[in-house]
Amino acid sequence: MLDNITFGQFIDTHSVLHRLDPRIKIILLIAIIVFIFLAGNFISLGLIAVFCIALLINSKIPLKMYLKNLKVILPIVIFTAIINTFYVSTGTVLLDWWIFKITTDGIMRAVFMSSRVVLLILISSALTYTTTPNDLTDAIERLLSPLKLIGLGNLVHMLAMMITIALRFIPTLLEETGKIMNAQKARGASFTEGKLTEKIRALIPILVPLLISSIRRAYELAEAMECRCYNGGEGRTRMKQLRLRKNDFCAISICVLVCTATIILNIFF
Amino acid sequence: MSILEVMDLSYSYSGGLPSPTAAISNINLKIEQGEIIGIIGHTGSGKSTLVQHLNGLLTPTSGKVLFEGQDIWEKGTKIKKIREKVGLVFQYPEYQLFEETAAQDIAFGPKNMGITGDELTGRVMSAARAVGLRDELLDASPFDLSGGEKRRVAIAGVLAMNPKVLIFDEPTAGLDPIGRENILKIVKDCRDNNGATVIMVSHSMDDIALIADRILVMNKGSVFMFDTVHNVFSNSEKLMEIGLNVPNITKVFVELKKQGITFPDSVYTMDDAVKAILSYANGREK
Amino acid sequence: MKDNIICVKGVSYEYTDADNKKQVLENFNLEIERGSFTVIIGHNGSGKSTLAKLLNGLYKPTKGDITVDGLSTLDTKNEFEIRRRVGLVFQNPDNQIVASVVEDDVAFGPENLGVEPAEIRTRVDEALKSVGMYDHRFESPHQLSGGQKQRVAIAGIIAMSPECIVLDEPTAMLDPKGRQEVMETLLRLNKELGITVVLITHFMEEAENANRAVVMNDGAIVLDDEPKKVFGEIVFLKKIGLAVPQTSELLYRLKQAGLNVSTDGISVEECAAQIAATLK
Repeated sequence: MLDNITFGQFIDTHSVLHRLDPRIKIILLIAIIVFIFLAGNFISLGLIAVFCIALLINSKIPLKMYLKNLKVILPIVIFTAIINTFYVSTGTVLLDWWIFKITTDGIMRAVFMSSRVVLLILISSALTYTTTPNDLTDAIERLLSPLKLIGLGNLVHMLAMMITIALRFIPTLLEETGKIMNAQKARGASFTEGKLTEKIRALIPILVPLLISSIRRAYELAEAMECRCYNGGEGRTRMKQLRLRKNDFCAISICVLVCTATIILNIFF
Repeated sequence: MSILEVMDLSYSYSGGLPSPTAAISNINLKIEQGEIIGIIGHTGSGKSTLVQHLNGLLTPTSGKVLFEGQDIWEKGTKIKKIREKVGLVFQYPEYQLFEETAAQDIAFGPKNMGITGDELTGRVMSAARAVGLRDELLDASPFDLSGGEKRRVAIAGVLAMNPKVLIFDEPTAGLDPIGRENILKIVKDCRDNNGATVIMVSHSMDDIALIADRILVMNKGSVFMFDTVHNVFSNSEKLMEIGLNVPNITKVFVELKKQGITFPDSVYTMDDAVKAILSYANGREK
Repeated sequence: MKDNIICVKGVSYEYTDADNKKQVLENFNLEIERGSFTVIIGHNGSGKSTLAKLLNGLYKPTKGDITVDGLSTLDTKNEFEIRRRVGLVFQNPDNQIVASVVEDDVAFGPENLGVEPAEIRTRVDEALKSVGMYDHRFESPHQLSGGQKQRVAIAGIIAMSPECIVLDEPTAMLDPKGRQEVMETLLRLNKELGITVVLITHFMEEAENANRAVVMNDGAIVLDDEPKKVFGEIVFLKKIGLAVPQTSELLYRLKQAGLNVSTDGISVEECAAQIAATLK
């Protein structure tokens, strides 16, 4: 049923990663991604891969959840591999047929590039699996708060508020869509029969009521927010304060170590 | 032959969870042509799940639903045809309106059945009349109507399909006393004027007491009681035990019984209550 | 001299809808005493929802003035102070919850007011406890029942430490259990925290435990008294399309038939006691 849909990909396993400050998680994710692309050889990339796998294990999220995300981007990985195989023509030639030429260097490069993409996806999944959409929104708002200095503070706040409200109302609207669909089915509407154009036309009895009810909800919500003294981001405080803890500093230190090691390995090999 | 029969019906939600939760289990019912059945129970007692099986919106996990003796899920039965014969008016039906005019919206159901031309117009007109919509409202946008009028348009949309069985899920929810009375009359007229079999789900025992012949009491996904209004109200204490709200009139009589003043019959309407108390008073004077 | 928190003086309100001017209230007067529990009853279109939105300055009167603790709602300077003091709860519980975690939603009001984080934490916990939703603080609103959602909405107002809560048909969309939960919560808030409650409804039974029942019809007050007295006016109430509690109607009809009962009993117990007394 629609009630059981989880939003975002958050899975609560109470791991160390779950408890890190979401801001730190976002910054570290960006750092790791940068270093995945800075890693110039198999040894330095290997180090990052080991680090990423350690993080995945630490997240206590079942492996199959990560594989599920990988499956989605499998076509991109294959595409990357193929392009890179033919991109390089140095090294021992393994196959030479018509315009296609596969070399050992080409294969090495394909493996290297697709490993990067796989690592990228795995490590981003680790963030979304261990952080609620709310925390993510909140962290992004706070990370972008320096934009206040150049007068964009309200824009950032508005964006964050929009995401918050969207997250709040997606389950409500999904449930409502289900109800409207059932009501129209009871009136003899069919959503599966007919040609494509007929199927599209059949959506009107669902979309119109849904739109109208969303507008009504938006009006009512706006009034309710006004009644609770909402006036944009200015002068607003937050109940939940994000504070860096020992774990966060540990995470930063480990990450700095790994990144430094990557650069050293890059230079020496 | 019963118009609707439910045999060993069970339904469970799986929803990707490891252990499916049973919404309703082992329901057996027979509903006869021309009856008005009231269904009552707490939120989550399985009332809505049950009625959505009666017109094939939900497929049973096990068990059968028979319409005029025929299994609605048997091969060769078109579920769309069943939905034409068993009309379902959802809770807050006004939220399903979408057409440009009220008349077009009422016509949506019959049009899906392939009805056109004069017959379509005729059906729209008679459905509109049945719910007491004034003619000039038919050309108005349904979104410009008042809350009560919108609900009547939505009900007319189902009536226009001329179903043999009409199911109303909480038809009076959110209405004020006048609106309630109007809708209850429409519900009752479906049987009285058009001979339809009527099933009404409600939280309000008062509403059910007013129009139903038999009451189905649902509790925790099973049938708790299914009997005539009179017999169900004779067991008011049992209803109160499972936390159902019986009419205050009935509560007063339960209270009087506790104080040793007993009446021969169960009482659930105002007129009966007045009569019963007055005759008790007269009897004592003699 | 009565200590009134809200004074409505000679208020008229009209709005323009599709070129038609509609007069909702005309020369309307009402005073709400601090700490009282007032129920305003009227059928749809009697102007009661408009009144609710006028009380906290969401709407401004066309004529007349409304003051909250002496602050006029016409003065935009007072806007926030008035909204903090008079919280408004609406009919549809879904459309007034902003955040997807219960406690975050309750924090929304005090956050807007710029209250210190530690203080917000205390207020949110207190507010959730006062409506009996503390155990659900980490849940998502869409998993709650209607009655629970409505109690979260009330907690969201309580966390702003208001003087008064105005509720516009808060039980209309709830099942009997939810209705009871909300009514019990309101009575408790009124008794234990001394919060003034103005409950707008079309369910007359909800006035049973109130101090005062005000009946509105066509934008004007037609009855204003203790609930017992108001319910005694059965014929009049029925004439303006309101459903009288069954208990009151029963007593009234027995009295008409010559039994020696008084029409004062609203609760089932009172009504049964009245009848038992004459029958024994």
